Amino acid sequence: MTHIYNSKTPFERAALDHVSLKISSGSFTSLIGHTGSGKSTLVQHINGLLRPSSGSISVGDFVIEPQKKKQDLKPLRARVGYVFQYPEHQLFEETAIKDVCFGPMNFGVSAAEATKRAEECLTLVGLPSLFWHRSPFDLSGGQMRRVAIAGVLAVHPEVIILDEPTAGLDPHGQKEIMELFHKLNKNSKLTIIMVTHNMGDAALYSDQILVMEAGQLKMSGAPEEIFSREQDLRNMGLDVPETMVFLDKLTDKLGLEKGRPVFTLSETADRVADLLNGGAAHV
Amino acid sequence: MEKIIEVSGVSYFYAEDDPWVLDDVTLSVNKGEWLSIIGHNGSGKSTLAKCLNGLIVPQKGSVRVGGFDTKDETNIWEIRRLVGMVFQNPDNQFVGATVRDDVAFGMENHGIPREKMIDRLAQSLRLVKMEKFADSEPHRLSGGQKQRVAIAGIVALQPLIVILDEATSMLDPEGRREIIKTMRTLNKEHGLTVLSITHDLEEAVNSDRILVMNRGKVVREGSPREIFKTPELLEKIGLDLPLAIKLRRLLNQRGISLQDTALTQEDLVNELWTLRSTM
Repeated sequence: MTHIYNSKTPFERAALDHVSLKISSGSFTSLIGHTGSGKSTLVQHINGLLRPSSGSISVGDFVIEPQKKKQDLKPLRARVGYVFQYPEHQLFEETAIKDVCFGPMNFGVSAAEATKRAEECLTLVGLPSLFWHRSPFDLSGGQMRRVAIAGVLAVHPEVIILDEPTAGLDPHGQKEIMELFHKLNKNSKLTIIMVTHNMGDAALYSDQILVMEAGQLKMSGAPEEIFSREQDLRNMGLDVPETMVFLDKLTDKLGLEKGRPVFTLSETADRVADLLNGGAAHV
Repeated sequence: MEKIIEVSGVSYFYAEDDPWVLDDVTLSVNKGEWLSIIGHNGSGKSTLAKCLNGLIVPQKGSVRVGGFDTKDETNIWEIRRLVGMVFQNPDNQFVGATVRDDVAFGMENHGIPREKMIDRLAQSLRLVKMEKFADSEPHRLSGGQKQRVAIAGIVALQPLIVILDEATSMLDPEGRREIIKTMRTLNKEHGLTVLSITHDLEEAVNSDRILVMNRGKVVREGSPREIFKTPELLEKIGLDLPLAIKLRRLLNQRGISLQDTALTQEDLVNELWTLRSTM
């Protein structure tokens, strides 16, 4: 798939340049890459917000191709939910629960069923029921984000796209939101596609990581595979998770070999203990 | 030490029936220091920042900036010049069509003569390393560059203090590093006072002093070492801890006994190195 911005103008630029990839159903995929590398442009194709200039995208049996005229995208959008950056900016209803109902009702769900779903989803995202009938604008930033996410979940999508879902939240809120998506992925088999700058989150929660640079897909693989190519990532101006940064500093200082990447604190502590006791890092 | 901001007994609420967002807050900011304020969302940090440049005036207590009381409306222009604020969203703080116009806007507003403006414009863009972008359109810049332009606009007014209100939280990691580096230079080499409201604990451990806020009160105040000496309190109010402290604890559980002094990753690496060489 290729996407050309400002086609046939002096500003013509390939935002996506011959990208090919597969995302398995029920998986958790993270897209990483520098700002402007094409991550968001790529995911906007998956629910038909953008149409490719060439190539095609298949979501189940739904196919999006370049020149198709007036394609009805509603069936696609019912299957692929999209949580935009700062989704709380899009809340508009009088109450939190009405806001959550808006999505499913827009897809033809009855008011009674939408309310039922809204209650389920607000419970799922952990918003206490005392807030359900308040104006979404009286809620805190973290609570507003939960309402916005509940609104996408209430449509009952099979795939959910997250564009930097934790940006601007405090560390506690960030962790809660990530745990929520982790749970939805594991328990409800929701397919998750996340655009993120947080390497720690990408490493901890993903089955697959896609690395974008200048509109091209540069790497794809399991977190361990991706982050063991530390130098390649650094050359693209990307970081590695904090746990690896720390271990790099330690192995440098001790004059020891770098081991395989680790992402949790507990694994990191185990590795440090090994480094102190034996010396050679695990391979 | 010269105190440039003095907040005493400040309480504030947004609406009559609401609880106090700030509840009897007393603090001061010393000239030339880097002060970090940490606390979870809703702890009152940003409300406090708005009190410091007179965007809001507290119902109780007083805020004095460089000797001027924010209650006195005739001081407000001077206070706004003395206290520059960089907000979270880099896209919400532009007015000029070019970087140059944008930096000049603040100075024009404050009636700074043209000759001085030209000098200061060049100088402040140089300080944030954006001189090459003087004719660029702000919307074509990266988030980090936009925030640097915002900082240049403030620096041009020769303020006493720059307040960063989660100014790096919407940036990618590179943008975040750019801003911290820029501010460190301004702080260390040009003596600019910095007050940073932040969730970034790796940034906070590198400041001169930290204030911890919870439910509208300042619950702790001290050097990073003092603050993180009792991490339990921070955890109790829902704050995260720096990586070095979390790791130190896990290492102690694994029978590697470490002192409770390491704050930064470098501290911990050095301590582990020393430990290994004595093993």
